[in-house]
Amino acid sequence: MLAIRGVLIAAGVAIGGYGAYMLLGLGTDNLVATVKWLVGGVVLHDGVLGPVVIALAFVVTRIARIKVPAPVVVGGIVLGSVTLLAIPVLGRFGAAADRPTLLDRNYVAGWFAFAGLTLLVVAGAVLRGRFGRGGGDGPGTGGR
Amino acid sequence: MAGLPTLPIPKEDDFTSRLRSPAVAARVGVWLGICFGIAFVTGLISHEAHVTHPFIAFPTRPVGLYRVTQGLHVITGTAAIPLLLVKLWAVFPKLFAPPPRKARELVVEGLERGSIAVLVGSSIFQLASGLLNTSQWYPWGFSFRATHYTMAWIAIGSLIVHIAVKLPIIRDVLGADIEDGKHDRPGMGDEQPPISRRGLVRGAFLAAGVAVLATAGSSVPVLKKVSVFAIRSGNGPGGIPINKSAKQVDVVAAALSPDFRLTLAHGSTEMEFSRSDLEQLRQRTHDLPIACVEGWSASGTWSGVRLRDLLDLVGAPKGRDVRVVSLQQHGPYKVTVLPRQFVDDPLTMLALGLSGEKLALDHGYPCRLMAPDRPGVFQTKWVSRLEVL
Repeated sequence: MLAIRGVLIAAGVAIGGYGAYMLLGLGTDNLVATVKWLVGGVVLHDGVLGPVVIALAFVVTRIARIKVPAPVVVGGIVLGSVTLLAIPVLGRFGAAADRPTLLDRNYVAGWFAFAGLTLLVVAGAVLRGRFGRGGGDGPGTGGR
Repeated sequence: MAGLPTLPIPKEDDFTSRLRSPAVAARVGVWLGICFGIAFVTGLISHEAHVTHPFIAFPTRPVGLYRVTQGLHVITGTAAIPLLLVKLWAVFPKLFAPPPRKARELVVEGLERGSIAVLVGSSIFQLASGLLNTSQWYPWGFSFRATHYTMAWIAIGSLIVHIAVKLPIIRDVLGADIEDGKHDRPGMGDEQPPISRRGLVRGAFLAAGVAVLATAGSSVPVLKKVSVFAIRSGNGPGGIPINKSAKQVDVVAAALSPDFRLTLAHGSTEMEFSRSDLEQLRQRTHDLPIACVEGWSASGTWSGVRLRDLLDLVGAPKGRDVRVVSLQQHGPYKVTVLPRQFVDDPLTMLALGLSGEKLALDHGYPCRLMAPDRPGVFQTKWVSRLEVL
């Protein structure tokens, strides 16, 4: 196993090194712009998104002491992550007046439909967990 | 209240949830790794398709191959976003782990943490830049195609290092029950979290699936109606969307001019064709897809003149590349080279019509190139010159 791991590490370093070598070959301006986004992405995640999610969970479970049912957690993951990745279309940042077939949906209405459906499914799962067969405060879609 | 924490910088042991376990990280990580692997391979295929003479000549069949590989590229990249978020959440306490005391351990762990920093940075970079590119939003100063390609090697390289480093733990936790606590941090509390570990992992998979359903309609026609966040509804003249408009590249006047002539050149032989000259030649009709790097694709019924028929008129031999020049005034694809295997393919044509109608100006009127299994940017619109090389 040690040999396999050694070979993998060597291969990984070589592959990553090849990428770094090509990246340097794209010029200094390109490199500076890339590093900005590389560092910016980590800072945004570790410094903003991560702490916000943790603070939210802390306020709900520790300060307000709300007992969150499992389907609500799953609904939060779905709603939060999919909303995050829909930001480019929700903002229509890439839209152009002379290209009407790009970003040609009503994304805000789509988001409300998506969020509404998610809430409905979560509510259904919570109710089923509470009053459905088995009774008790079962885990709903979360499973156990 | 006495128990209010002093927030800003937490310690690793401040994170007490049983959910932040290697058992969760590894299970989500396996699928994240699969997504990254597929995105890397399909990305390499796309890169090959953009090079005139790659190591292996790009095939002309099946005609929809690029459509499938590029669709998969964007689908796996999209699915990876929720998976990466949950994975990073599960390992977040590691960020605050104290450095080891001994010098030797410090070096080893420093290297490992360095490789993880590269992995996290390049992963976020790839998913974010790829996502923004699908909607043609470019708020950055780097060249997207070249940088996304080089960063892919960095991401995959650091992923392989990460897997190698964690291999013993990965094997242990995947071989044991998800609730097993062998590799858990000692600071983990006994308190039952609101959701089970299994529930959290399933939640991550569900989010990835929903992300795909909500976006993939641009490349998977059956999902068109459910994909509320698809970048395109698929509508457009002749049932095909427009990526670049005639106005955008300043070709409106030249393309609509009655003086338009297509020049066909082979050595010193040159022939000129007006649009009606082209209409007089034998017409063929084929179903061919347009498939773009952004992952959207659409199949159309194109009609026009077989490219090989045209080349025979100037006596061009088989096995030669052809330079394709567009009327467009700017853009990186104004002049491109069509590799020989596409030149000689019987399906490659200079299209004059789409869905039984005259080609729309934004689709490339008076004539455009349509070849099987080529990225959309090479299906040159407003073709003005073909040069046998």
